[in-house]
Amino acid sequence: MTIRSNRDHGQHYRPRMHCLKKMEALVVEMQDSKSGVKGTEQKLNVTSIPHVVTGQDILAWIANKMKMDAQEAQALGTMLVAYGYIYPLQDHKKLIVKPDGSFYRFQTPYFWPVQQWQVDDIDYAIYLAKRNIRKKGSLEVYEQARYNNFHKWLNPKWDFIVMQAKEQYRANKERQKADRVVFDCQERAYWIVQRPPPRAHSAMDCLDRLVDPINSEPQTYDHFRRTTIYLQQSIMRPKVKSTVSLGALVKYMTTYKNHDPFLAPCTPSNPWLTDDDTYWELNMASVDVPTKMRVERWSFSLYELLNDPRGRKDFKVFLKKEFSGENLAFWEAAEDMKWGSAASMADQAQAIFKLFLAPGAPRWINIDGRTMGLTVKGLEHPHRYVLDAAQTHVFLLMKKDTFFRYLKSPVYKDMQKKALTPQPHNFSDAQLEQNARNRKPGLDPIIIWQKAEEERKAAEAASRPVDISQIKNKLDRK
Amino acid sequence: MNRWRRSVGELQARRRQVTECEQALAALSKVTACFQQMASSLGSNTDGGGLREELAEIRAIAHRIYTGLHRRLITLLTEMEHGQEDREQVERLWVLFLSGLETFQKDLRKANSLQELFPLTQRRDRNTLIKTGSSGGSEVAARAATVQTPWVSAGEERCPDLQTQISRLDALLQEMLQRVNVPVWTVESTQEAWVEAGKEEVDDDETLEDLMQVEVVSQDSTTTGCCHHSNCRLGCILCLLT
Repeated sequence: MTIRSNRDHGQHYRPRMHCLKKMEALVVEMQDSKSGVKGTEQKLNVTSIPHVVTGQDILAWIANKMKMDAQEAQALGTMLVAYGYIYPLQDHKKLIVKPDGSFYRFQTPYFWPVQQWQVDDIDYAIYLAKRNIRKKGSLEVYEQARYNNFHKWLNPKWDFIVMQAKEQYRANKERQKADRVVFDCQERAYWIVQRPPPRAHSAMDCLDRLVDPINSEPQTYDHFRRTTIYLQQSIMRPKVKSTVSLGALVKYMTTYKNHDPFLAPCTPSNPWLTDDDTYWELNMASVDVPTKMRVERWSFSLYELLNDPRGRKDFKVFLKKEFSGENLAFWEAAEDMKWGSAASMADQAQAIFKLFLAPGAPRWINIDGRTMGLTVKGLEHPHRYVLDAAQTHVFLLMKKDTFFRYLKSPVYKDMQKKALTPQPHNFSDAQLEQNARNRKPGLDPIIIWQKAEEERKAAEAASRPVDISQIKNKLDRK
Repeated sequence: MNRWRRSVGELQARRRQVTECEQALAALSKVTACFQQMASSLGSNTDGGGLREELAEIRAIAHRIYTGLHRRLITLLTEMEHGQEDREQVERLWVLFLSGLETFQKDLRKANSLQELFPLTQRRDRNTLIKTGSSGGSEVAARAATVQTPWVSAGEERCPDLQTQISRLDALLQEMLQRVNVPVWTVESTQEAWVEAGKEEVDDDETLEDLMQVEVVSQDSTTTGCCHHSNCRLGCILCLLT
């Protein structure tokens, strides 16, 4: 229709047609009068409705026919009921096969779950309206909620829904009583399967796909053209030998093995398990003395060092001593630009150019001529990633040279000596319960942000750009 | 004076047409409901040549009604300019007609695939019909046969067979969507929620509900899960732990 309420987001094809077809063949065999499951009659007051089967008969027949044991037969039988090919007469909400004398009946093929007949909300709305008529307003709670929902969202079609529900109800009343009972049972069972009550596991819950996987795509010229392009592109992709990639994976795992909270125990204790947040407090960004594990992690790669705020602070201290802080400053400025707001892009670009890139700038970075040319040209029309090439170059410089010097430096070695090794906690059960009771809420994110802002301002005030000329003056004066 | 009289005459004629369309819509609704009720027994043990013929007759009645109604609604909508009093009503009828046709189209498709799934050409095919416990009867067909079109149908075409009808209905729906620009969301329903329950006479249906509840084997009602398994936390329905 014009505006289909496509709450399944346009994905109509469910990849179950194959197995559903096999189920259908099985069900057809099951109800065969000669070789199928034996049927009895259901007695209701004066009438008796035929074609009722018991749970244990179903299971016995399945086990016999498919040569399975009882457990598998039970699973298959439950699947048949869950998909709606057979419905229970007692306890209609539990879609399982009970291995006793409880009654089941076969569902009419009109109500079979078939892929191409999409179950529509309008049909469900008509069913709910019919049920409302029949039960005079005493629907179940979830049905009432859905009914109200439909009245609100399907309002333009509501008149049609009510009209159709009334007509179907009247048409059904024309039938004989036994047939009416059977049809009502069938319909109810169908909707329990297709629109299950809340918190119920439904067999129909499944990924819906955009393309019907059963129908193969028509082999047109366009299809082949697209396939050829795709295959050519995949040939051109750079490939890595599996020995190389596996070697990298093994190396990664051996380095990080002891730092993974799943594989090695957290020191002092994992807060999620023991409700004790010493671990988080020891590893906060603004802590004075970091833990040994943290310091060890900094030595893995420059990326780890820079990502950890405490590590970055330490690296800055080292660089200040070496008077080569402009690389890191430039890298940080480029990061700020990448993550910054679009409005400030032009200003930031100007500031960075004046500070780092212009010839004779106070913190001039030493990058090769080609990258410098590209960056300066790009800065005429600044965008978020205009400093990307220069940033990568600077990062590589730091990684190949400064990082190793840092790891051998006294700054780092001091830090290693100072670092804490917290003792692992050993809580008894009573203490664990006490911890759980004493859980306090975490810091308000606003407070954390305010603290970070204050620290940033203090850091900016403290780290004036180290001007070579000033230091020279100082030295001269001496 | 004459112009005034003419316009009154026009108004009356239009109102007559609109009421005709409403009656036709009600008739279409009735016919499609009967079709749906009867199509639900396709493939079951009550299926047979008789049922399929009855279905074909009902289809023919529906075909007559909706082709006529389509023509009249289109003429009405193209005649009336935007803003006339009856226009809202006609738009409402249009939207309801569209939904009715779509539902009917779905039922036709289902009936088509069911008839293909359970062909009755040979005697032994009757064995494949699912035994559902119903005993059949043509009461619903009789009800559908009483439906009449509110206008005199003269010289209309014969009803095509099922496949052709489906494809023609597809084309009709497409054409309807493209030709007239009636946004669906502008139509409001005239019915309040929950009202329809009070209007229908419901007789001896309490016993029907009881009938449907076959004697439940007395179960232990203290289990919270759906089965007695200790790890089962599901509310109900499908639990593979038992």
